[in-house]
Amino acid sequence: MLNDLDCRGLECPAPVLRVRQFIEEENPAAIAVLVDNDAARQNVSRFLEHHSYRVSSEQQGGRFRVVGTRTEGAAVPETMTPSPVREKRESGAGKIMVLITSETMGHGDDALGDMLMFNFLKTLKEMGPELWRVVFVNSGVKFTADGSEGVPVLRELVESGVGIMACGACLAYFHILDKIQVGEVTNMLEVVTAMKRADSVITV
Amino acid sequence: MTDTTIRLTQTVKGAGCAAKLAPGDLDRALCGLDLPVDPNLLVGLERADDAGVYRISDDLALVQTIDFFPPMVDDPYSFGQIAAANALSDIYAMGGVPKTAMNVVAFPAKTMDISVLRSVIEGGLDKMREAGVVLVGGHTVEDSELKYGLSVTGFIHPDRILTKKNLQTGDCLILTKPLGTGIVSTAIKAGLAGSDLTERVIRNMTALNRDAALVMGDFTVHACTDITGFGFLGHLAEMVVDSGCGVRIIAADVPHYPEALEWADMGLIPGGAYNNRDFRGMFVDFGAAVSRRFRDLLFDPQTSGGLLIAVAPNEAEQLVAALKATGIECAAVVGEVVEEPLERIVVE
Repeated sequence: MLNDLDCRGLECPAPVLRVRQFIEEENPAAIAVLVDNDAARQNVSRFLEHHSYRVSSEQQGGRFRVVGTRTEGAAVPETMTPSPVREKRESGAGKIMVLITSETMGHGDDALGDMLMFNFLKTLKEMGPELWRVVFVNSGVKFTADGSEGVPVLRELVESGVGIMACGACLAYFHILDKIQVGEVTNMLEVVTAMKRADSVITV
Repeated sequence: MTDTTIRLTQTVKGAGCAAKLAPGDLDRALCGLDLPVDPNLLVGLERADDAGVYRISDDLALVQTIDFFPPMVDDPYSFGQIAAANALSDIYAMGGVPKTAMNVVAFPAKTMDISVLRSVIEGGLDKMREAGVVLVGGHTVEDSELKYGLSVTGFIHPDRILTKKNLQTGDCLILTKPLGTGIVSTAIKAGLAGSDLTERVIRNMTALNRDAALVMGDFTVHACTDITGFGFLGHLAEMVVDSGCGVRIIAADVPHYPEALEWADMGLIPGGAYNNRDFRGMFVDFGAAVSRRFRDLLFDPQTSGGLLIAVAPNEAEQLVAALKATGIECAAVVGEVVEEPLERIVVE
C-alpha cells in the first residue's frame, strides 16, 4: 500500500522539492504524489521520470495523483544535477559530512600540509558507507579542478556513492569555475542544508 | 547586490513574467469588447503588439507600454532593475526611444520593511537613469504581495515603427539574450541555483535592450519583438500568425542557459511554460531530434528577455557582429523566415 505524499496547496517548485527530499531519504521503489494543479503534475512526473521511475497519473476531481514505479534493473538514481543529492543507501547508517576548508591540512609548514591533505583525501574512503558528502570551500575547491591530484581520488569516492560538492563562489574566486572535473558546484544554502541533514560534520 | 537577508522569491506565488495571466484567459477577457477607434492610433490593442503607438503629428508618435510583476529574484535592488529593464524593453522592441516613466507598485506594508521598497525603487531609478528616462510619478497600493514595474512613454517616428508583423521570406531571425530565465528563477526559488549563475542571469535580466535597439536601427529590420512571458515560441507565434510565411528555427543555435535544461528535466518548470505550450503549441512542429527539455525551454516564460529581430538575410551576419561588438555576446541567428509551411514554426 502506497502512502500518498500530499503536495496539495504547495506552490511551484515546492512539490518537486518535497518529492526530491522523499526520494533522497527513502529511496522508495514506488511513490504516489498528490498535487492540485496540472503544472505540478507535469513537473513531478518529469522529476520522477528523470530518476528512473515509470510514471502514470490520474485526475481525481480537482486533484492529480502521480504514481511512480522504479523501472526494473534501473541503477541508483543518477546525481540530480546540478544539485548534489546522491545518497548513500545503507539503511541505518549515520551520515557523515566532511567539510574541507583549505588545500593544506593544519598549520606549520604548507608543503607538509599539502601532503597531509592529499593523504587525508586518499584515506577518506576508509570511513566506509557512512561517508555521505565531502564539501570543499575556500582553497579546498582546488582539489576538484583540472590539474589537481585530488581529481582521481574524488572520482573514486563519487563512484562509491559519496556526494562531492565544491563552493561555486570559491571556484569563481580562484578563476577555476570552468575547470571543475569532479563533483557538483554548490552554494552556501546547500552547504548549510547539508550540514543540517548530516548526522555529523567533520571540518578539516 | 545590496546586503539583505530577505528572500523576495519566498514571499510570492508566481515569479516574474511567469506570473503573467495565461494567454488564452486574456483573449477570452478581451474578445468581443468594443475597442475605441481613432485614425491616429497606429498600433492598438487588437494588434497585440509590444506597445501602443499614437500619432501626434506626421513625424512624431507616442509609444506607450506598462509592465509590472512579482519578484523573480531575492535581492530588492536587482528586482527593481529587472522590472524597469523589462518595462522599457517594449519601447525598444517597437524601435522607439523611452522618455518618461511612472512607477507602478503594490507593496505588503504589513509584512515587509519599507526599506525593501526603497531598494526596489532605487534599482528602477538607476535603470531609468541609464536609459535617459525621467520618472514623472507613480501609484502605490497596499497588497498581499510585492509587485513593481513601470508605465513608460516614448517617442517614435510614425514611419519607423517596428511591429511583430511584416516578416519577409528569407529574413534571418536574431535573438539577443539567452533563454531560460523562468526555469532558472524557479531554481533560484528552490535554492538550487549557484551564486555565479544567479549573478549571470541577473546581469542579463537587468541589461537594457537599448543597445540592441540602437544597433538594429542601422539595418534593414522588418519586424521585432521582445521575448517575455509567452516564451520564445509564444512570441514567435504572434509574429507568424497572419504573416503569410513560416519560420524555421534551429534549436542548437538558440542561446540559452545550459543549467536550465538540467532543471527542466527535474521538473523545475514554471506553470507559465505549460500555459504557453498549451496555447501556442499548435503552431509548432518539432523535429524528432529536439528533446523535451529543449521544447520546455523554448516555451519558458522570460523576464526581461532579449529582442527577436527579423533582418534582411544579406545583413544578418553584420548585425550579429555589430551586436557582439556592443557587448551582446550571445547574439545569434536562430532561424529564418520561409515560404512553407505557411504560418507555422518548424523547430529542428
